[in-house]
Parts: sequence; structure tokens; C-alpha cells
Amino acid sequence: MTCEEFGRVLPELEGDHHNNIEQEKHLQTCSFCSGLVSDLNAISAQARLLAEDQEPSLRVWNSIALALRQEGLIRDPQVSARLLGSRLGGWKLAWLKPVTIALVVGAALLLELQRIPRGTPVAQQAATSVPVIGSADGLSQGSAIDADQVQLLNLVASRAPAMRAGYESDLRAVNAYIRDAETSVRNNPNDAIAQQYLMNAYEQRAMVYEMAMNRALP
Amino acid sequence: MERRETVAKLVVAVLFAGTVVATAETRKEFHFKVHRRASVSVANQFGPIWVKPSSGEEVVVTAILHSDKVEVDHTYSLNRVSITSHLLSGADAESGRVEYQVLVPADANVTLHSATGPLRAERLHGDVILEGNTANVDVRDLVGGHVHVKTLNGPVTLTNVSDGHVEITSVGGDVALNSVNGPLVHVNSTSGRIVYDGDFGGGGEYSLMTHTGDIEATAPSYASIDVMASSTEGKVENDFPLQPTHTSLAAKAGSAFAGTMGKAASSVRLLSFSGKIHLKKR
Repeated sequence: MTCEEFGRVLPELEGDHHNNIEQEKHLQTCSFCSGLVSDLNAISAQARLLAEDQEPSLRVWNSIALALRQEGLIRDPQVSARLLGSRLGGWKLAWLKPVTIALVVGAALLLELQRIPRGTPVAQQAATSVPVIGSADGLSQGSAIDADQVQLLNLVASRAPAMRAGYESDLRAVNAYIRDAETSVRNNPNDAIAQQYLMNAYEQRAMVYEMAMNRALP
Repeated sequence: MERRETVAKLVVAVLFAGTVVATAETRKEFHFKVHRRASVSVANQFGPIWVKPSSGEEVVVTAILHSDKVEVDHTYSLNRVSITSHLLSGADAESGRVEYQVLVPADANVTLHSATGPLRAERLHGDVILEGNTANVDVRDLVGGHVHVKTLNGPVTLTNVSDGHVEITSVGGDVALNSVNGPLVHVNSTSGRIVYDGDFGGGGEYSLMTHTGDIEATAPSYASIDVMASSTEGKVENDFPLQPTHTSLAAKAGSAFAGTMGKAASSVRLLSFSGKIHLKKR
């Protein structure tokens, strides 16, 4: 199974349950796809931590409206974030924001995967790249770059070599943010501020991924 | 002797002509008729984009191309205008540079992308979306529209922005908000410094959050706010006499405080994981 084929079935996968042996096999051999699945599971797990009756903020509706507008799915300016919020205000959708972020990141990664020639496992491509794992800049271990991110950096370098260093530094900073936020949530599972830090940290990472794959921003 | 002079003049002339050709810039101008609430997007890998209001229902794009290694593509359908710098083979940050000045109806929704920027939008009242890697983002005199900014390391400055949602996400860029009010003002940063100077008006939700950056918020003594500030590993400082309020935040001297001022019309959250926070009185 190639990464592209796995990408196609990814939306149907739920948690750690994979539908067949081929998918399992692919995940065992491909660090990129297994990392992606692990990221999505982590975000999904964090979403469950949120209180069930917590209403999403205006910002959530705003982000959704923005994403829909950017995709051209809505054009009517009347359908503003506030309106969307009021229409759906009765829903208990506190989990929507991290899921939205996860979908955006997932979709972006999948789009990128589709560009890779058929039959070429992503892991194989990564193996030919120079690894950047470690923390040469003195940041703690939590800021280390993982294999997926190495691949992302290689993608950036292939388009704009000068930008790789900046992306690497940003990923390290964001990884450190996620590490601190996760520790904080673990230590204070009911702390709303700790949860907010974690959401923001993931949002930051999603943004870095999104920009790295945006052809308009090489 | 005379012949030598002639040859020298010729050489100078050829060199001059060569220099002119090498540095020649191409200026292009595009006009698009649009209606109310048009959508205008400009994607420019290298170079500035400056958007200002036009006088009529027209989008006017002026592009200065720095070489023939870049082209300007445009799409125009119904009420949507899309402009893209198209890099040709061998283009780099210098030869691929295009400078855009875009005039749009003030109510247009504008989306700008540039890796290097700078990006500037002013005197509009539609929604504005600005994205850039290291691009310096400058937004001023916007009323009524939503403003969304994303940068990796580019600094972001908003001045005189009101009555819209303001959302800024930047990994390392400093964020400065001057006289920014609205129902929702949200800044999410990893390491950037966040500076707010305004009155937290509009009965809005203000949330300034960073991982390692400092936060400095300056407000007048008449500000009407319900404020909460906390730094897990840094210090917090407050110049205002706050009324105690019921909150889940455990007030810890030097690292967290909460309270209200006036009628507490706006909610203000200042949160940094390890940076310093200072709520200053103007």
C-alpha cells in the first residue's frame, strides 16, 4: 500500500482501529503516515478532555466561517461567523475546534501526499533526506524535530532552500510549546487555561504545516 | 587619439545600455469592474502588497515586475478577482520579486499572501486576511471587517481597527495593537512579544496568549474590564486597582491576578507560559 492509497482511506479510520492488514503493515513501515495518524489521535483525545457542555467560542465559529469562505463554499457576506454561531448555537460542539484544526492539517498533508508519484512510499523518500533530529540549538528534547517534520522541512527546502532554517526553528519552538502545554494539562487536567494553551499550541503547529505546504508561500 | 575617445564613448554607452536593460522593471496595470463586497486575492511569493480603497467599483492592480522570470496571472469571474505572481524557471527572491499596489472598493473582502512582504492594508471595511512567512504586516484604519493575520516570524502591527473580529496567529513575530477594539480580539503566539495600547472597548473578548513572549497591555484609567492575567513561569505586574472577582484562577502574587474595573464591559485575558506580563496604566 502506498502513502497515497493510505491517504484515501485515512478519513475512514477511527482511533487505532485499522481496517486491514495492509493498512497496519503500511503504518509499521511508514513513519510519515503513522505520525499523521498519531497526531490526529492526539488531537482527538484532547478534544474529549473538553467539558461536554462547553460552548464553542465566537472564535471557533469565526474560524469555520473563514475556512468555508476561503474554500469558496460560502460567498454570501451575510453568512458571517456570528450568524453561523447563532444558527448552530444550540449544538454542543466544544470538540469542533481541535477537530477542525486536525481536518485542516490532515487535508493539507493528504493534498501533499497526492503530489507524490504513485508507488513511492513516503518513508522511502524520507530515508534519502538528511535527518535534522535532535536539539542542536540547545532547546530541550521536547522541541526535537521528528521524522514527519524532517520530511516537511525537506519539502520546504526543495522549493526554497533558504526558508528551511526558519521553518525548522519555528517547528522547534512550537514543539516546545506543545510539550509544555501537554505537561501542564497532565498536571492540571481540569485547568481551562492549560487546555487553552494546548489548543493554541496545536493551532500554531497546524499553521506552520499549512504554510509549509502552501505554494504561494514557498 | 580621437579614435580612442570614440571607442571609450562607445564602451560607456554599451555598458550604460546594458545596465538599463538589466535593471529594467516592467510595470503592468489591470482594471476589473466589480460590485458590492467583491473578493480580491493577491498571492505574491516575493515582494510587497499594498491595498488601499479605490474611488469607485473597480479593482485596479499595479504590478512592478523586477525581471522577466516572473509573470502576473489573473482570474476574473463575476465578483472575484485573483492575482498571482507566477514564478518562471530560475526565478529567485530577487528576480521573482513583484511589487503590487491594489486599489479595491472599500467594502471588498481582501486576501493577501506573501512570503517576504511587506503586506499593508488600510482604510477598508471588508474582511481582510493576510498571510506571510517573514512578511511585515501593517493594517490600519479598518472599521467593521474581520481581520485575520497569520505569520511565522513577520511582525504584525494593527492601528485603529474597530468593530470586527481580530485574530492574529504568529509563531515568532511581535504583535503590536494600537487602538484596536472589537467584539473579539485574539492573539496567539509562540515566542512573539505582544503589545496592546488601547482602551479594551466595545464590550469584547480580548485574549492575548503567548508561550514564551512578554505581554504589555496599556489602558486608560477609565477602562471597563474584567481582567485575568497569568504567567506559569514568568512574572505579572499590574498598575490598576482592581475589584476582586470570583474566578477559577488562583491569584498568586507576582504570577497571576484577576479583577474588574468600571462596569467590566470587556473581558481581558493575558496569558503567557513563561513570559512577563504587565498591565500598565496610561
